[in-house]
Amino acid sequence: MRSMAEWTTRQMMVTAIARQIEDHKAYVIGTGLPLIGATFAKKTTAPNAILIFESGMIDGDPQEVPTSVSDLRISYHSSALIPQYRYFGFKSNAHKKDIITTGFLGGAQIDPYGNLNSTAIGDYDRPKTRFTGSGGANGIATYFNTIIMMQHQKRRFCEKVDYVTSPGWIDGNNGRARMGLPADRGPHAVITELGVMRFDKESKRMYLSEYFPGVTPRQIQDNTGFVLDVSRAEQFHLPGLEMLEIMISKVDPQRLMI
Amino acid sequence: MDSKNKVMTLEEAIKEFVHDGDWVALSGFVTNRKPYAAVREIIKQGRKDLYLESGPGGGDVDMLIGAGCVKVLLNSYTANSGFSQVCRRFRKYVEEGKILMEDYSLDVHTLLYHAAALGLPYIAVKNMLGSDLVSKWGIPEEVYANDPKLPSQKLIIERNPFNPDEQLCLVPTPKIDISIVHVQKAAQDGTARIEGPQFGDIDLAMAAKNCIITCEEIVHHDELRREPWQNQIPNIVPDAVVHLPYGAHPAQCANHYDYDGLFLRMYDKVSGDDKLFQEYLDEWVFGIKDHCEYLNKIGTNRLMSLRVQPGYGYVPGLKRR
Repeated sequence: MRSMAEWTTRQMMVTAIARQIEDHKAYVIGTGLPLIGATFAKKTTAPNAILIFESGMIDGDPQEVPTSVSDLRISYHSSALIPQYRYFGFKSNAHKKDIITTGFLGGAQIDPYGNLNSTAIGDYDRPKTRFTGSGGANGIATYFNTIIMMQHQKRRFCEKVDYVTSPGWIDGNNGRARMGLPADRGPHAVITELGVMRFDKESKRMYLSEYFPGVTPRQIQDNTGFVLDVSRAEQFHLPGLEMLEIMISKVDPQRLMI
Repeated sequence: MDSKNKVMTLEEAIKEFVHDGDWVALSGFVTNRKPYAAVREIIKQGRKDLYLESGPGGGDVDMLIGAGCVKVLLNSYTANSGFSQVCRRFRKYVEEGKILMEDYSLDVHTLLYHAAALGLPYIAVKNMLGSDLVSKWGIPEEVYANDPKLPSQKLIIERNPFNPDEQLCLVPTPKIDISIVHVQKAAQDGTARIEGPQFGDIDLAMAAKNCIITCEEIVHHDELRREPWQNQIPNIVPDAVVHLPYGAHPAQCANHYDYDGLFLRMYDKVSGDDKLFQEYLDEWVFGIKDHCEYLNKIGTNRLMSLRVQPGYGYVPGLKRR
């Protein structure tokens, strides 16, 4: 028999991602853990969830882990492969058709309001470390609610990010409206190897929602470069071990990611 | 049927249509349908001072940068995702300030191609508002003001004249000199058909002043005209058609081959080191006579192992690490 101790951090993160996925809703997904989490949801709690990729591949059913959003593994069993500008249309019309509401992002730095940097560390003109850049992230952050994947380290959770690639709640309530962004969309959750953070309904500031078993709220505050409200935090509830079996056997049988 | 035969060798096509200082746009998406054979020929012919953009870039963009062909990069993303999470020559050249680089969001880039293909002067979007894509420019203002290849500014924030409460980001469309698009099927008259995902490539083909099509198969035009609704690029668009089976290797090409994971791993290693990268160029670009010699060097066994399995559209269980 497996024991609780056999849940790895990544498997808990995948579970946390899957819980954000509702049946019959469409999600803009990147590769990596969000795809694993979304696939896990499709095999268990949300079989009719639809996965959309910024490369224009709609509702594919990947049988192997793709390496990018353009990987032909994602186009398997797709409903349609559309030109990328049509994907843009789905986004800018999202407020009219409530089909797609949420997308997944990742980054190198995040601030208390969920503004995200995936472009460069240091001075933008002569960066200390240069990353890929926005890709589709900025567009997802413009139009959709977002769920953000981060590594939980003090230098990554900082008061001010070096470059805002993907706008979050800007500086709190009303920040998005002031910038001309859709005001009712923005970051909803941040998932790390330590737990799940959410954003206060009023202040739009990040707080600790759930911590993974084996992690303490104190430990999470110590790994966060700004003051994090931990007063509402609860321990993350793990599902039964049958779910772990499904994750391992049906979602990533090659064990590339989990 | 009387139609112009646009078939050329790769060497002829690059010589005639890609010049120093040109604005070049490349097809595909990170590791899918990238015109790698054409990229190797551009490097071999020593083109320089290029203004380069591509659908999200991968090793194609990275190689051109590392070979010293690029003056300005306009892009939203540069990675051989899954193999190089950030392309390594790209990263080094940007960190050391050796090229000018302007960042966009993928959406904006996609729409810029579309608008350019439609002949529109700029797009008006909400994208990039509230981000440093608006406030921090990679190309300095004075360069925008003085370089005739570039628009006068990266972008302008303006109120929507039809709805003054709404802010918009106005972004000028690029003036692309030459686009290079790798496709599955093309006829000698230039009619072309992309199979699998199109990405932004139809727009890219039509936005540029000139267009080179490289293709897996040259097909008789009667065959492509039997089902013209399957063709996306009409014969009037391309200026050159170059027959290059495996012309996107080591990237994927739908209905033909998967990406070459081992090659991309090797590239990840060599592109992280100046000396190894130079040796890689010597071995795989300068030391190779033509595309056939390149394929011989990869080898039949390797090429056959990449053939996609019909029904899947990729190679199930492909060795990727």
